[in-house]
Amino acid sequence: MKKGNRSQKFTGATKYVVDDELAKIVNISMALEMPLLLKGEPGTGKTMLAHAIAQSLGMPLIVLNVKSNMKLVDALYQYDTLTRLNDSRFGDSGRDVSRIEDYIKMGKIGQAFTAETRTVLLIDEIDKADTDFQDDMLDVLDQMEFDIIEIDKTVSARYRPVIVITSNAKKDLSDPFLGRCNFHHIAFPNPEGMQEIIRVHFPDLEANLAKHAIATFYRLREIDMVEKKPATRELINWIRALQLDPDFKTQNLAKGEVPYLGVLFKKSQDYVVADSYVNRRRPF
Amino acid sequence: MFTEFFYKLRDSGVPVTPTSFLTLHRALNKGLINSLEDFYTASRTILIKSERYFDLYDQIFAYYFEGAEMPDEEELELNETIRALLDEWLKNPKVLADALGWDEATLKKLTPDELIEYLKERLKEQTERHDGGDKWIGTGGTSPVGHSGYHPGGLRIGGGSRNKSAVKVANERRFKDYSRMGPLTQASMGEALKRLRNMIPSGPRDQVNIEESIYQTMKNAGEIEIVFDRSLKDRLKVILAIDNGGWSMDPYIPVVQTLFNHARSNFKDLKIYYFHNTVYSELWEDPTRRKKPKPVEEFARMDPETRLILVGDASMARYELLGVDGSIYVQERSGKPSIERLAFLAKTFPHSAWLNPVSERSWRYIETVVYIAQIFPMFSLTIDGLEEAVTHLMAA
Repeated sequence: MKKGNRSQKFTGATKYVVDDELAKIVNISMALEMPLLLKGEPGTGKTMLAHAIAQSLGMPLIVLNVKSNMKLVDALYQYDTLTRLNDSRFGDSGRDVSRIEDYIKMGKIGQAFTAETRTVLLIDEIDKADTDFQDDMLDVLDQMEFDIIEIDKTVSARYRPVIVITSNAKKDLSDPFLGRCNFHHIAFPNPEGMQEIIRVHFPDLEANLAKHAIATFYRLREIDMVEKKPATRELINWIRALQLDPDFKTQNLAKGEVPYLGVLFKKSQDYVVADSYVNRRRPF
Repeated sequence: MFTEFFYKLRDSGVPVTPTSFLTLHRALNKGLINSLEDFYTASRTILIKSERYFDLYDQIFAYYFEGAEMPDEEELELNETIRALLDEWLKNPKVLADALGWDEATLKKLTPDELIEYLKERLKEQTERHDGGDKWIGTGGTSPVGHSGYHPGGLRIGGGSRNKSAVKVANERRFKDYSRMGPLTQASMGEALKRLRNMIPSGPRDQVNIEESIYQTMKNAGEIEIVFDRSLKDRLKVILAIDNGGWSMDPYIPVVQTLFNHARSNFKDLKIYYFHNTVYSELWEDPTRRKKPKPVEEFARMDPETRLILVGDASMARYELLGVDGSIYVQERSGKPSIERLAFLAKTFPHSAWLNPVSERSWRYIETVVYIAQIFPMFSLTIDGLEEAVTHLMAA
């Protein structure tokens, strides 16, 4: 197993604002060759970080979106029995039915292991799957290899991928799993950090509009009783909506009007709560 | 190196493992850590595996490397309790002012921090003195911050009710449980509620039934015959009834709210009703309990397979539960004691459970809880309790 280029260091990407601490953590995890587990509220940029790492280091990104009923083997490889069965009946394809290898397709982890270069492997929302999935994955990530039972072959990683795992903290992950990862919790950005993020996304946004939009956004986030608070993604879409509206004026925001509330609050109950909050604001 | 730091973390209850400590040393040996700042970041990302311990880690780090004082654990808890109480009170400054015997103007002059200091002093005094003090609890007594029979004039700390004194509630330390067992968040509730399902086939036939396919193929002399089934869908009916009235439920409203929000998104057929303290002749469809009553008798017409979940502290005066006209509302005069209504509901829906947000340890001291627990199986409103309740509800 070859090691990737050690001198590569992550410093941030064009569309991603990274603080020093996070950059340090990414670099340490890469140097220690340990998976980095990221937790945090939805919309804090956990998934985006993997994209940013891949972009800034010029590595291909492979995304494994974990689903609740996923088995580990689905992420490693698939043995396409149905095609083989079909071929054996009709025999009109170029594949050799007696060669099972022809019917093995690599899953996302398999692809990362067999790739020609070092890759960034993002295992997104691992907490969706049950604990068996996590425990099974430990061995694979530890050994950097797995067996294909059907053809009795071991696949080992040609280049150790940079592994980023995200979790929305729906469930606590198992202790042995945590033991093998480095951990970081991404807090929701403060208004100053958000200003920076908005500046990266909208380089020529009017400063006054940005200020008021962000202030309104944080005020709306403070409403209790809302099931899903608006996150960075919603803010960006909202600003985009404001920019597109020819009738919109920044003063209206300062006055407390909030147009396009539906962009920020996507659940009908939340929308009702937020709407009544906006239209009947109390002095504090 | 840094073994003392490692043990300090362990002693303070942060779960750090020797393996991760060795990993930290690997990082040190590789020359990845060149400053104290690097060390702070690296050791946190390597050693600490949950944001729940970040705060504690910060404190220990500061103590170990910068000689900061170790925070007094008791002090922290006191602060936390008071802050939570203050949050409640600030929603209704008049109650607080009345309770302290000040007028609102005086209250406004104090900054929140001053107020906290004041209350902390009072709470400390109480801890030292325990029961029988004349400064804290006493029905209509000399204390400004006390418990009295009527509301909202008397201030009940943490919303204690008749047989729960203010300090007892404060001492229950509801927040400690949260940090240790993990908060009862929407997500964890969802996990617990997920098991509450009754799978029935519905929708298009798009799932391959493998066993049947093999059987039919064999019968067909090896010619492939694929059998499709409908996929399983959840068709469980759930009735959720919640006690949303009265001071005694106030501190639990966020928890219950969370439960409700989640229940709504989780079940296809969910009906929500409201009641105050206990059920009399009607349950209400609107949270204000005014507009849409539904007579209890009508529930008999519903599917008996429906799961009935009641949420409430089940704490009330004896007569409210057992008296013929027990309701504290004059207009609710039904001629039957509430306990009979509850028994009727329990008989109508064999699969039922009562979720009680009050700590399980104090159940046997509250008379009405004991009575109600004989009618409905009672579970505490925690993740564990919720899971037990779900298991009970799904048992045949």
